[in-house]
Amino acid sequence: MKTTWLLSAALAATALTAASPAAAATKFEFWYGLSGDLSERVQEMCSRFNASQADYEIVCVSQENYENNLQNTIAAFRANKQPTVTQISDGGVVDLMLSGAFVPVRELMEKNGYTIDWSNYFSGISSYFSTSKGELLAMPFNSSTAMFYYNTDALKAVGFEGAPQTWEQVEKIATDLKAAGYECPIAFDPTGTWQWFEQFSAVHNQPIASNGNGYGGLDAVVEFNKGKFVDQLTWYKKMVDAGLMVHKSKAAGQTANEAFTAGECQMSSSSIADHGSFSKQAKEGVHWDVTVLPIWEGTERHNSLVGGAALWTLKGKSEEEYKGAAAFYNFIAQPIEAQHWSTITGYIPVTNSGFEAMMADGFYDAPPYKGRELAIQSLTATPPGEYTRGIRLGNFGAVRQEVSKAMQSVIFDGVAPQKALDDAAARSNEILRKFEQTYKGQQLP
Amino acid sequence: MIERSPFFDALTYAVMIIGLILVVIPFWIVIVAASQSLQEVSRVPISLLPSDQLWVNLSEAWDRADLAPKMLNSFIVAIGVTVGKITLASLSAFAIVFFSFKARMICFWLIFITLMLPLEVRIVPTYSIAANALLPFQVILDTLGITGLVQAVSGVQIALNWNLLNSYTGLILPLVATATGTFLYRQFFMTIPDELVEASKMDGAHPLEFFFDVLLPLSRTNMLALATIMFVSSWNQYLWPLLITTDRANFGTVVMQLKALIPAQNGTPDWNVTMAGALIIMLPPLLVVAFMQRWFVRGLISRDK
Amino acid sequence: MERRAVYRNKVLPWLLIGPQLLLVLVFFYWPTSQALYWAFTLEQPWGGGNLWAGLDNFLYIFRDDRYWGTVLRSAFYALAATGLSMLVALTLASFVDRALKGTKLFQSVFIWPYAIAAPAAGVAFRFIFSPEAGLVGAINDIWPGIWDPATNGIHALAMVIVCHAWLGIGYNFVFFLAALQMIPRSINEAGAMDGARPFRRMLDLQLPLIAPTAFFLLIMNIISSFTDSFGLIDTMTEGGPIGQTEVMVYKIYVDGFKGLDYSGAAAQSIILMLLVIGLTFVQFKWVERRVHYN
Repeated sequence: MKTTWLLSAALAATALTAASPAAAATKFEFWYGLSGDLSERVQEMCSRFNASQADYEIVCVSQENYENNLQNTIAAFRANKQPTVTQISDGGVVDLMLSGAFVPVRELMEKNGYTIDWSNYFSGISSYFSTSKGELLAMPFNSSTAMFYYNTDALKAVGFEGAPQTWEQVEKIATDLKAAGYECPIAFDPTGTWQWFEQFSAVHNQPIASNGNGYGGLDAVVEFNKGKFVDQLTWYKKMVDAGLMVHKSKAAGQTANEAFTAGECQMSSSSIADHGSFSKQAKEGVHWDVTVLPIWEGTERHNSLVGGAALWTLKGKSEEEYKGAAAFYNFIAQPIEAQHWSTITGYIPVTNSGFEAMMADGFYDAPPYKGRELAIQSLTATPPGEYTRGIRLGNFGAVRQEVSKAMQSVIFDGVAPQKALDDAAARSNEILRKFEQTYKGQQLP
Repeated sequence: MIERSPFFDALTYAVMIIGLILVVIPFWIVIVAASQSLQEVSRVPISLLPSDQLWVNLSEAWDRADLAPKMLNSFIVAIGVTVGKITLASLSAFAIVFFSFKARMICFWLIFITLMLPLEVRIVPTYSIAANALLPFQVILDTLGITGLVQAVSGVQIALNWNLLNSYTGLILPLVATATGTFLYRQFFMTIPDELVEASKMDGAHPLEFFFDVLLPLSRTNMLALATIMFVSSWNQYLWPLLITTDRANFGTVVMQLKALIPAQNGTPDWNVTMAGALIIMLPPLLVVAFMQRWFVRGLISRDK
Repeated sequence: MERRAVYRNKVLPWLLIGPQLLLVLVFFYWPTSQALYWAFTLEQPWGGGNLWAGLDNFLYIFRDDRYWGTVLRSAFYALAATGLSMLVALTLASFVDRALKGTKLFQSVFIWPYAIAAPAAGVAFRFIFSPEAGLVGAINDIWPGIWDPATNGIHALAMVIVCHAWLGIGYNFVFFLAALQMIPRSINEAGAMDGARPFRRMLDLQLPLIAPTAFFLLIMNIISSFTDSFGLIDTMTEGGPIGQTEVMVYKIYVDGFKGLDYSGAAAQSIILMLLVIGLTFVQFKWVERRVHYN
C-alpha cells in the first residue's frame, strides 16, 4: 500500500505546482475507445496533463468502444475533422498502417526534441505496433493480455488448491463444481474471440494465418481451421452441452464479467485490464484470483498476445498541435504517470524498467495487485515467435466477426466445428483478398 | 347504423378493448417499469402496477444520458427540419403548379423521384458527401476550368469546403432534401380553383402576393399536417445522426442516446432507468401527435392521391 | 395536372424552386452518383484512393449465399411485419367504423404508435421480451429455456417483427379508417337488406372498395420495413445472434461502417435503391389504373 500512497502524494504535488493554464494554450483532441470506469481514469489522466503545464490543453473524448472510435475517427479523417491523437486497437492496425494517415510516433518525438528509449518497451508491444523493420509507429498506451480468473472459495470447496494450469484440470474442476451444485462453473461468451480463440492459438503456438500471421505480406491466408483450434472449439461445445460452460453475454442480459464478479460463475477468461474493476465490483464474500491461460497437457506454453491499443497521431494537424501531442506522450511515458495508470486500471506497465521498478517496490506482493505480474509472465513466456508476435491481417475486425459467427453457430446451432471454421476461413480469405486488392501494389511497412 | 344487435355491439367493444390493450401495453410497461425500484423491476414476472420511483428514475436517466443538451439538439433539428421543409416545399410546389416554364415537368420529376428513396436506403451515398457538401460545385468549377482561370488571374485558389460532420446543418439539410412536403403541397395546390388565380390576376396582384395573401391562408390545415409529420419523423431519426455525429456530447440527439441507456457491460440490469429514459424520449412526438391529431390525420391521408 | 390559369414569368419560378432543386442536387443526385462510382471501385477505408473494380463488387455480393439469406430474410420480415400490422389495423378500423359511442377515444389511442421512434419501441420491447426480465421471461420460469432471443435466431427475428408490426398499427389504422369511411353508406345498407351478415359484407363489399388503399399501404409498409427496421434491430439485437436478424439495410451498415467495406456497401445500396424504385413503380402503375377505373 505504501507505493500507492507515495504515488498519490507525488501526483498531488505535480498538480499543485502546476500553474493555471494560460489563455493561449493550444487545444488538441484525443479520442479513445474506453467507457465506464476506464473512461473516468483516462479523463483523470487528461486533467493531470492539463494541470501539469500551461502550453497545451488536451480535450479527451470517449467514443464508447474501440470499434466506434475507429469508425468515427475514419469519418472525421475523411471530413478533415480528425482528432490529433486517437486510440486504435489491434484490429485496426493494418488498415491504418497502409493508409498513411498518421505521423509515426518516433518521428514525432524526435522532431519535437523528446528522447525516449524505445528499446525499453516490451517486445510484444512493439512488435504489434511497429513496422517489419522495427520502427514503432504508435505510442504504446494501454496494453493487456488475456488471463484466467477463478473463484478461490469454489475451487477449494471441490478440493482444488492453487491455480488451474491445464484445460484438463479446468474440465475436472468444472465437473466437480457441477456435481457440487454450482450452476455455472465457467462463464463463456462465444463472441469473445480475443481470449477464447486468438490467445488460445498464441499460447499453443497455432497459426492464425500463413505468412507468420500476416506479417510476411498481404497475401496471407487464414489457417485457423487447420490446427488445434478445431479441437478446442469442439471441446467448448462439449463443455457447453454438459452445462459446464454457460453462455453469458451482453445479448443474454449478463456479461461473463458480471456473472463472475457476482459469484454466479466460478471461472472466466478476460483481460488483465479488468483486474482493477473486478476488485471494485466483486460482491461481498466473492474471493477470486487470476492466473495465466490454461494449456493442454503435453503442449509447451508460448507467450500470449498483447491486447489493448496504442495512440496514433493523425496527419493534417498543425505543428502546434503536434507539439502538444508529443508533450502528452512524454507525459504518459514518465515513470510516475505510467505506474499510476497501471495501478488504477490493470493494464500492464508497458516498459521493462517500469515493470522492474514496480516489482522491486513490492507492488505485486500483496492484494489487491497480487497476480497482475502473471500477465507479464504470460506475455514473456517465450520470446515472440512467428505466430505469437501478433496478427497482421487487413480488415482484421471483419475476420474476427467471421470467427465469432462460427463459434456462435457451433455453440447455439450445433453446426459441426470443422464445417463452421472452414466456412469462416473461406469468408475470411475473401475479406483478405478484397483488402489486398484495395491496396494493390502496396507493401506492409 | 346497420346492425343494432346488442351482441354485435358487445363484440365491437370487445375487439376495440383488445386493440386498446395491444396498443397501450408497451406504453404501460414502460411507465410501470420506469416507476419501479431496481428490486421491483428485476422481479420475474414484473408487477403490472406502478410504484413510486418514477421521479427518481426519470432524473437518473436524465443525468445518465445527459439528456438536457440532447433534448435541445433534438428540438433544434426537429424544428429546423419542419420549418425548412414547409418553406421550401410550399415555394417549390407554388412554382410547379402555378407557373408555366419550360423545365417544369423535369423539375417536378427531379424532386419527385427523391420520394422513393428514404435516407436509410441511400445512407452510404449521403455519407460520402458529409465531408464536403460543396464537392459537386468544386468538381463543376474544376471541370469547367474556372478554378484554374481564377487562380491564374487572381492567384486565389478556389477551394470550396462545407463540412457537415457535427453540425446542425448536417443533421437538418439532408432531411429537408426530400419531396414529401413538396408532393403534399402540390396535391393541395392542384385543388385550388382556377377562378381564384384569375381573380388575383385581374386585381393586378403580383404572383407572390397571391402566394402570401391567398394560398398560404388557405393551406393552413395542410401546413399543420406537414408540420406534425415532419416533427415526428425528424425527431425520430436515428441512423443519420448516428453517422454524422462523432461529437456526441455536443451534437447528439435524444434518440441516439437510447442505446446508451440499455443496461450494458459491467452494469446492473437497471431497466427501470432505461425505461424512464425511453419515456422521456418518446414523449414529445407523442404529445404532438395527440394534440395535432385532427390536422395530421387529414394530412397523412391526402398523401394518398 | 394542367391548369388553365398560370403565371408566365421567366425568373420567378426558378427563384422559388431553386433552393429545393439545389438541396436535392447536393443531397440526393450527387451522392447517388458518388455511390454508383464507389460501387464500381474499391474504396480505401481511410480515403486516399480507389481502384476501378468493374462489376467485382456486385459479383462478390451475388456469389455470397449469406447476402441472399439477407434478401430472403428482408422479404420475410417485410411481408410478416406488414401482414401482421395491416391485419390488426384493418380489424380495428372496421370495428371503429361502426362509430358506436365512445369510439373517438379508442380511435385516438390507436394512432399513438405512429409517434414512437423505432429505437424507443425497440428498447421497450427488448425489455418486454427479455428472457430473464420483464414479461415474456416469466414463461422461462415455467419451461426453462423455451424463450431465448439471445441465442435463437428465430425467436430474435420474431421479436423484432412483432415490434415492427406494432409500430405500424397507427399509420395503417388511419388509412384504413379513412378508406372505410369514404364508402357510401348506401352500399352497406343495401348489402344488409339483402341479408348479408357483417362479415360477408366485409369480404364481398368493403374489401374490394378499400383494395386500392390496402395496396398503397402494402407498398408503404414494405418501404418502411427498409427504414424503420434499422433502429429496431440496432437497439434490440444488433443483427445477432449469428447475423440472423440482419436485414438489407442493417447489413449495409454493418459491412460498410463497421466492416470498413464501403465499396461492397455501396453496391448493396445500389441494389436496394433499384428494388425500392421497382416497388414504387409498381405502385404508380396501380394508382394510374385506379384513376382509369374511376
